[in-house]
This record gives sequence, structure tokens and C-alpha cells, in this order.
Amino acid sequence: MRRAGLNRLGQYLIVFVVAVTLNFILPRLMPGNPLALIAGVDVGLLTPDQRAEIIEAAGLNEPLISQYFDYWKSILTGDLGFSYRSGRPISELIAERLPWTLLLAGGALVISAFFGIILGAISAWRRGKKLDLGLLSSMIALESLPSFWLGMLLISLFSVSWGLLPSFGAVTPASDLVGWDHVRDVIEHAILPVATLSVLSIPGVYLTMRYSMLEVLGEDFIRTARAKGASETRVLFGHVARNAMAPVVTFLAIRLAFAFGGAVIIETVFSYPGLGRLVFESVGGRDFPVMQAAFLVFTVAVLLANLAADFLYPLLDPRTRARNE
Amino acid sequence: MSDSLVAPPDRSKRRRFRGIADKLGILGIFIVSAMILMAVFAPWIAPYDPTERVGRPFQTPSAEHLLGTNDVGQDLLSELIFGARVSLTVGLVAALVAFIIGTTVGVLAGYYPKRIGTVLMRTVDVVLILPFLPLLIVLAAYLGRSLINTILVIGILIWAAPARVIRSQVLSLRSREYVLAAQTMGAPDRWAIWRHVLPRTALLATSTFVRAVSTAILLEAALSFLGLGDPIQKSWGSMLFWAQTRGAFLTPAWKWWVLPPGIMIMLASLGFAFIAFAVEERINPRL
Repeated sequence: MRRAGLNRLGQYLIVFVVAVTLNFILPRLMPGNPLALIAGVDVGLLTPDQRAEIIEAAGLNEPLISQYFDYWKSILTGDLGFSYRSGRPISELIAERLPWTLLLAGGALVISAFFGIILGAISAWRRGKKLDLGLLSSMIALESLPSFWLGMLLISLFSVSWGLLPSFGAVTPASDLVGWDHVRDVIEHAILPVATLSVLSIPGVYLTMRYSMLEVLGEDFIRTARAKGASETRVLFGHVARNAMAPVVTFLAIRLAFAFGGAVIIETVFSYPGLGRLVFESVGGRDFPVMQAAFLVFTVAVLLANLAADFLYPLLDPRTRARNE
Repeated sequence: MSDSLVAPPDRSKRRRFRGIADKLGILGIFIVSAMILMAVFAPWIAPYDPTERVGRPFQTPSAEHLLGTNDVGQDLLSELIFGARVSLTVGLVAALVAFIIGTTVGVLAGYYPKRIGTVLMRTVDVVLILPFLPLLIVLAAYLGRSLINTILVIGILIWAAPARVIRSQVLSLRSREYVLAAQTMGAPDRWAIWRHVLPRTALLATSTFVRAVSTAILLEAALSFLGLGDPIQKSWGSMLFWAQTRGAFLTPAWKWWVLPPGIMIMLASLGFAFIAFAVEERINPRL
């Protein structure tokens, strides 16, 4: 077991190395002068002296391998470089944006977990019945919904046609609300993006829960529970659902990381000032260092989520727990 | 493990389930065929050339322009019809790229599970863990906006899941008697793979291909929506990109500018997803 754990850690380490290496290689592989991509200047406007100076400063005249080590050094010390659109340190930009994305992703996670688990449990319990088939086909349909389109429609309906909720941003601009009003304002702005993100995440949770339930339903201890006269409700919640939860929690942890990625699109639609919107802005402004830094943050988030899932699994699944002891 | 102890699944339930899956599959085939016909015959169906400015900008729907016109006066209905070409091309070709890589990796990793298999599956795991959408965007931004780049970027990112499915199938095939018999009689691995393994993996590989098309269509739409699509050939995603940029969803225009392209994306992706679901249900029924 410990060996398997180490194996996993090694795997995550490899992913991290691959991500950092991709970040290092990509700007240097592109045709043309990497200077423009790394230093963020219009190379054509520079005198040869200036150019040499920048190359010197960015360390581009050194052999690739030592550039690579320098790159690692800066990553590991948390130095992500500077945005070349705003000139600000990237770590500062990210620290500013990250909480908003966490709010969206976290909110969507809770909501989609709630609905996904309940619907999945009901569906598996009634397998093969009309309800199950209906739920299953609508979930497949939901998976084909383009996320940004759903967001646009929600804005058209809730914000524009009915005027119920704000259509962009995370807070009302220049309103200086404090205390409870501020909280309300933030929640009102988060409702539509969180709803969009949740709707998209429900099918995954649902399918995992349904499948996991079906596996558990075939196990011996369920028959034992029934045989000893436990009520149907007790069997469903006390035995089946409880034992089916472990894979779902793993899925949710990983899903959180995916919700992060989905945030790029959702935040763009809602002009929400999170990390995803930062990626979109940097794509539009050809701000490659910011784009890469955000990619790295997303990677670390995914790895942390996976680690959390690995850690939680044995705690939740009574069967693996017994095996470990 | 406890398979033999599980009560045999209810026959009638299973049949009913398959019945539904088949119906969805037929619906999928119907949708996909309609889409393909629309893409192929686009120049004959579309009332105007979608790149031509044929009217005043921002027109509301009328007899001349059934879905109105966009911000530069191009006919939205014609854009919608021609958009099928981009979406289907990207979906099919990107899925083909993923299919070729995925099948090759899956078959090799399954047939040689020791060294080659370990290395290949490690690679698969890395690709699966990497944050997919951000990486897609970074790659697309570096490579630049063109149809080929969109196809390549999507193709090289979605092969990992199919590879894993195919590997487990091949892994179980390689220990079957007829493969062992071929090996014992001195047949080269190449023979065993082509003669015995590939034909029995074909159906599974096809279902992963169809599912990949569905994914690729959605990804193309997302990329185009973020402004990373081919600037010359407009897809449904880029129609929505312009609707977003010009704020069409903040006006009544959302009904004819935002609604139709989204429905098309959904239908196209759904059509393939239904087919994949029906095929998967036939290969591996898991009620």
C-alpha cells in the first residue's frame, strides 16, 4: 500500500515536471524570435544594442540547459515573472483572481454534488424503470450542452429579459457596499455563473454515483441487510449509498480541478474577474507569461485535488480501510 | 470478484434498457445524417454566401433574412448552415487523429504490457491528469488560429481516454487460446495483432471514435468561442464569439443570433454521443 502511494506521488511529480517543461519549451519552439514571446517586446522596434541587453537580462544567450535550470529555480521560488500587458508581478495578479474562481468552483461543486448524488442514487435504485431511463438520457443530453451558450442564455433570460440578476462582474462597480449588503451583492453576482457551472457538472457526478450504486447493489452485504429485515430506506441510505460514496468523492475532488478549467469559459461569459478570465484576457492580449503561469496554477490545483482524493478514499471506503489495517 | 454470487440481472429490464439505447442510437444516426447532408449541400441550401455582406447590419428576422443579419450585415442563417462544415470537419478529423494515436498506443500497451506498456500507460496518465482546457487554450494560442491547428490541438489531447479503454480490451485478448496458439506455432506478433487482436478491438475502437467526435465538436465550439478559431471559416462557436463580442445576448437578438448556433452545437455533439452510447451498450451492457 505504501509502495502504491509512493508510486502515485511519483506520478504527480512527473506531471508537474511535464507541465513546467512544456511551459519552458513552448515559447522557444515557436517560429520567429522567442524574444518577443519571453520578454514581451516588439523586437522590430529595438536597436541591436537594446536587443542584446534584453537577451542578456532574460538569460537567452546562455545554453538551453542552464536556462532550463534557471527557469526551475524561479518557479520553485514562486517567481512567475511579470505580465507584459500590465507590467505587474504575475503572482500578484493570480493571488487577486484566485479567490473568485475558488468561490465559483467551490459553490458549483457543492451544488452539483448534492443533485448528482441524490439523482444518481434514485436512478440506480430504480434501475431499468422509466425514471432511471429518463434521468439517464437527459444527463447524456446535458453533457452535450455547450457551457458558454448556457451561460449566455441565462444572462439573456435572467438579467436582460427579467432583470432579476446582474449580468457581469463579481460585485457592483463603484458601489462600496459593506457588511451584509456586500455579501448579498457577491452572492447575487455568483448565482448565474455557479448555476451554469453546476448544471454542467451534475451529469458526471450522477453517472459516477449511479454506476457505483449498481456495483454495490450486487454485493452480498446488501442481501444480508435485506435478509435480516432492514427497511428499504435503511438499506438504501444506510448500506448502499454509504458504500457507494467513495468513488464519488474521488470523482468530486478531481471534478473540482476540472471546474477550474471550465471556469475559463464561464468567467469569460460572465466577465467574472477570476483566474479563468485572466487566461482569456492574456490570450487576447498575447500575454504569454500570464497564460503559462495560469496553466501552472491549474496544474498544481489538479494535482492537489488528486492527492486529496487519494488521501480521502481509504477513509471513506470501509472495505479498503479493513484491507489496510 | 463476487460475480457468481450476484443475482442474475433481470432479463426484461436489460432488454428494455437495450431497447432504449437502440432508440437513442437510431435518433443519433438520424441527427448526424441530417447534419452531414446540411454540411455537404450547404451552398445549395443556404440562401446567401455567408461571407458576403448582403444587407444592413443587425437586422431582425424577415422574409429575406430568416434569422436576421449580423454586425457586418452577413446572413445569419447562411452562416449557420455553412458552420456545419467547420464543426463536423474538426470533429471528425480531430477524432480520427485521436483514434489513430489512441488505438496504436492502446494496442501496443495491451499487447506488450511489461516495459512498453508501462511507459505508454504512464504517458496516458500524465495526459489525463494535465488540466485539459487550459492546456488546450495555451497550445491553441501558441500555434495560431487555423483549422489545421484546431484539429491538431484537440486530436493530441483527447486520445488518452480511448487508449486506456482499448488497452484493457487487448490485455484480455492476448491471453486467449487462439492468440496463445498463434504464438506457440511461431507466428510473429504482427500476425497475432492484425489477425486476432485488431478485428476484435474494432467495434470498441469505433465506439471510442464516435465518442471522441462528440467531445471534439464541443471543444472546437469552446475554442472558437474564446476567439481561437479559424478567423476565415466561421463555425457555430465563432458565431457565438461575435454574438458575445457585439453584446447580442444583451438585446432581443439573442433569440436569432445566440439560440440557433448553440442548438446546432448541442445537436451535433448529442447525435454522436447517442450513437456511442448505443454501441457501448451493445458491447458492454452495464445495466
